[in-house]
Amino acid sequence: MASKDTFRRFSRLFSGCACGRHRSHAEHDMAAARPAQDDAARYAGAVETAVVQALFPQAAHRRAFLKAIGGTGIAAALAPFLPLGAVTDAFAQGTGAIEKKDLKIGFIPITCATPIIMAHPLGFYSKHGLNVEVVKTAGWAVVRDKTINKEYDAAHMLSPMPIAISMGLGSNPIPFSVPAIENINGQAITLAMKHKDKRNPKDWKGFKLAIPFDYSMHNYLLRYYLAEHGVDPDADVQLRSVPPPEMVANLRADNIDGFLAPDNICQRAVYDGVGFIHILSKEIWDGHPCCSFTASQEFVTANPNTYAALLRAIIDASAYAQKPENRKGIAEAIAPANYLNAPPVVLEQVLTGTYADGLGNIKKDPDRVSFEPFPYESFAVWILTQMKRWGQVKGEVDYQGIAKKVFLATEAQKVMKEMGLNPPAATSKSFSVMGKPFDPAKPEEYVASFAIKRA
Amino acid sequence: MLPLRLRAALLSVLILVVFLLAWQGATAGFGGGGGGPATGMDPEYAKLMGLTATTGKSAMPSPVEVGRQLWAVLSDPFYDKGPNDKGLGIQLAFSLARVLIGYGIAVAVAIPLGFVIGMSPLMSRALDPFIQVLKPISPLAWMPLALYTIKDSGISAVFVIFICSVWPMLLNTAFGVASVRKEWLNVARTLEVGPLKRAFTIILPAAAPTILTGMRISIGIAWLVIVAAEMLVGGTGIGYFVWNEWNNLSITNVIIAILVIGVMGMMLDQILATVARLVTFPE
Amino acid sequence: MTQSYLSIEGIARRFQAPGGKGSTVFEDLWFSMNKGDFAAIIGHSGCGKTTVLNILAGLDAPDEGAVVMDGKAIEGPSLDRAVIFQSHALLPWKSVLGNVAYAVASRHRDWSRDRVRAHAERFIEVVGLKGAEHKKPAELSGGMKQRVGIARALSIEPKMLLMDEPFSALDALTRGTLQDEVRRICLETGQTVFMITHDVDEAIYLADRIVLMTNGPQACVAEIVDNPLPRDRRRLDLHKQPDFYAVRNHLIDFLVERSRTFKDGLPPDYDRRRPPVVRPAHLPPTPPDGVRAA
Repeated sequence: MASKDTFRRFSRLFSGCACGRHRSHAEHDMAAARPAQDDAARYAGAVETAVVQALFPQAAHRRAFLKAIGGTGIAAALAPFLPLGAVTDAFAQGTGAIEKKDLKIGFIPITCATPIIMAHPLGFYSKHGLNVEVVKTAGWAVVRDKTINKEYDAAHMLSPMPIAISMGLGSNPIPFSVPAIENINGQAITLAMKHKDKRNPKDWKGFKLAIPFDYSMHNYLLRYYLAEHGVDPDADVQLRSVPPPEMVANLRADNIDGFLAPDNICQRAVYDGVGFIHILSKEIWDGHPCCSFTASQEFVTANPNTYAALLRAIIDASAYAQKPENRKGIAEAIAPANYLNAPPVVLEQVLTGTYADGLGNIKKDPDRVSFEPFPYESFAVWILTQMKRWGQVKGEVDYQGIAKKVFLATEAQKVMKEMGLNPPAATSKSFSVMGKPFDPAKPEEYVASFAIKRA
Repeated sequence: MLPLRLRAALLSVLILVVFLLAWQGATAGFGGGGGGPATGMDPEYAKLMGLTATTGKSAMPSPVEVGRQLWAVLSDPFYDKGPNDKGLGIQLAFSLARVLIGYGIAVAVAIPLGFVIGMSPLMSRALDPFIQVLKPISPLAWMPLALYTIKDSGISAVFVIFICSVWPMLLNTAFGVASVRKEWLNVARTLEVGPLKRAFTIILPAAAPTILTGMRISIGIAWLVIVAAEMLVGGTGIGYFVWNEWNNLSITNVIIAILVIGVMGMMLDQILATVARLVTFPE
Repeated sequence: MTQSYLSIEGIARRFQAPGGKGSTVFEDLWFSMNKGDFAAIIGHSGCGKTTVLNILAGLDAPDEGAVVMDGKAIEGPSLDRAVIFQSHALLPWKSVLGNVAYAVASRHRDWSRDRVRAHAERFIEVVGLKGAEHKKPAELSGGMKQRVGIARALSIEPKMLLMDEPFSALDALTRGTLQDEVRRICLETGQTVFMITHDVDEAIYLADRIVLMTNGPQACVAEIVDNPLPRDRRRLDLHKQPDFYAVRNHLIDFLVERSRTFKDGLPPDYDRRRPPVVRPAHLPPTPPDGVRAA
């Protein structure tokens, strides 16, 4: 109950105010103090909120601060310590006029979406001159359709999805692009409590395992993991696409034996005492991409400045989210019903990496989830090799061509440089999955090297 | 002996009380035992776990908890904390608006078309195979097609309500119109009443009870469909509320939504039942 | 025959049976009526009485022949001919007044609401239903319902009244009273009436001329009985009329025997266009309680 109260108070602080017109209570108060706000002032407000957040990452301190100054003169109160005006100017700058200011971005309520979501309550969108509404969506197919239908300007998708959409797998081919990766790592294999002694995948024959979507890293990682242990994912186990919210219920009902799912679903299963975390996905491939920030090619070309501003906001938010000291605050910011609608204590465990594994141990892994936005083209190549490996695509695959078209690594480099950040020099990188090296230059050989495959 | 109504009411209350007590008993039963997970748990670890895992508390909320939460939800039904978190009253209003639009269009289509089918044996036979095939299709099966072709989730939801609620009204109207007593039609014919006036003064009132029965079935379907459709496309509405609380595994809120959905569905049905009573005539 | 008010000229009605075989209900039917006549048609079920009435009403059309009324061929339903249905056919969702007013408003489309209402109320009063105007048909007895049906038919002041066994669903007492009233009204207004009945006494009491139809299929008019009873006859002492039993016996004899056999032994001078007119007047002296064949 105590946590619920905190959760309530924070939802008030972050996600709205009494009148409903402002993103936060603080903003509402500022608006009340200065009714004739122009855009510049509104940016200033957002900056103030962000700065307050940065100065007082601890919720209690922030509350105390806001209370002490009565919520009216944050700028005045902070002026002696911070040159707020200068910060505001820097934030508001853009390379050109924003074509479309009011945007809708769809997300699925999982922690992978953290940058997209938290950019809203923490003011990263407004800082870059955008008025974004983040809309919670019921499933991957719906996110896909709503983005294709232009109800959403951009969306949170599983990173194989834009590749699949661009190639016309499961829908008409529509060119989609990935300006940024949302998160790396952050998934886990969760098993039902009754399997706590079956830690070797070789014992999993006959299991029913759930994945969130066919075109998901979860599908490819689980298949990879099983195959590496000699379990054929098509013959020896049953893989089912199950919407993440249904996974815990299904695990409790004994309909499935486990799942490779996004967090907070895995931690939620632990929290509810129905499952334990077998391994984190980073133990399969440390640094794997999971979800992506996606927009249609059409949106990117028609609204280059909007797109750039959006990308800046996401990169900004990712950088903020990547800092361990911010993670606890973020967990509280995205917990309310408007965003993830999950108990803050669960999100905290996911984001801070100090978590209960469901078997009575507290584990510490600060890299359980990371927010590194750079969309390496080699990620796309790897995804394509797995699509080929498991028969989702047949015949010749233009690995490099598709990767370049969908994963906008060069664009990301440019924007990151403009923001004064240090992007990776190369748009591709090599990595290993379960100790097996992957060379993005030789995808066909990579596919051929697997013993278990459908290609 | 008490009058039947009063006895029935007392029995209803008794059933409710027994049900609530059984529910309370069943959910409380798990709590007391302290068996299993609670014993010997590291307090640090326990902090990270939910009550179900630490105290063995039932995942099913007790009626008291549901009542408390119901009060909380109903006492602030119109709050708006952003696009994904609105009060139950607002969500209900969204659902009702969608239902009324979709249902309204269905009425506007089904009744005139039902007239045509009912009056023309040719049309009746020609359209019958289509109706029979389209009628049993589940709303969830329509949804992907609607999303794909209409390209707007809001309109798609309305479309799905329309397409699912149109059939009972269409069939009932056609049946009602076709079975208007010949002698009533003959009365109109001998009085040289024109076809349009005949439709409104004879066929419509004669078929009205049957049409209203169809409309009652349809509003029930529309209300069923909206919940499913909103769970699928999300955004707003009572169906989204259910989905969002399911997502949070909040059984308490799901139960509240079920109650609200049930009561609202009953009210819609009662409204039409009242209208039906007005147009029904004894023979 | 040339100047008849209503003239049925050689009509036939055939139905297509599902098996492809047609069946002729009646054919080459001829009959005519003068203005103010009250004709009743008697015959067994299946002889096509109701079909004839429907053709007169314009609800059905003959396959051959034509019906001419007041110099114009009948080509469909018309407000000139009002029908009193066997089952009264009241609109159950309308009140007594509503049912009658519906007919009045159809007849006089330019009338104001008040005028329609006043006119309807007048006819409700004629049939003795004053005070029940706002009742729904379901609240009325069978006799009262048929009164509404009569009021509705009369209210449009038709050139001709068509009655399809109007009293057959009523109990004897009610039937009697209603017969009295219909006779009174028809005499007062000089109404031309064509009635179907199964009831021999009813035919004798009400009709001036009684059309006898042979059994179907291929029914025809066997003869037309000219009612010899005086015009001022009363229902209660009908049986005391000297000619009553002669007529009655003639009719019953026809229904029992001749309706079946008539076609087998057609009289040599039988002409379908001019069915024989018989007037079964008393073979004097009629015994007071004797029963005799005509």
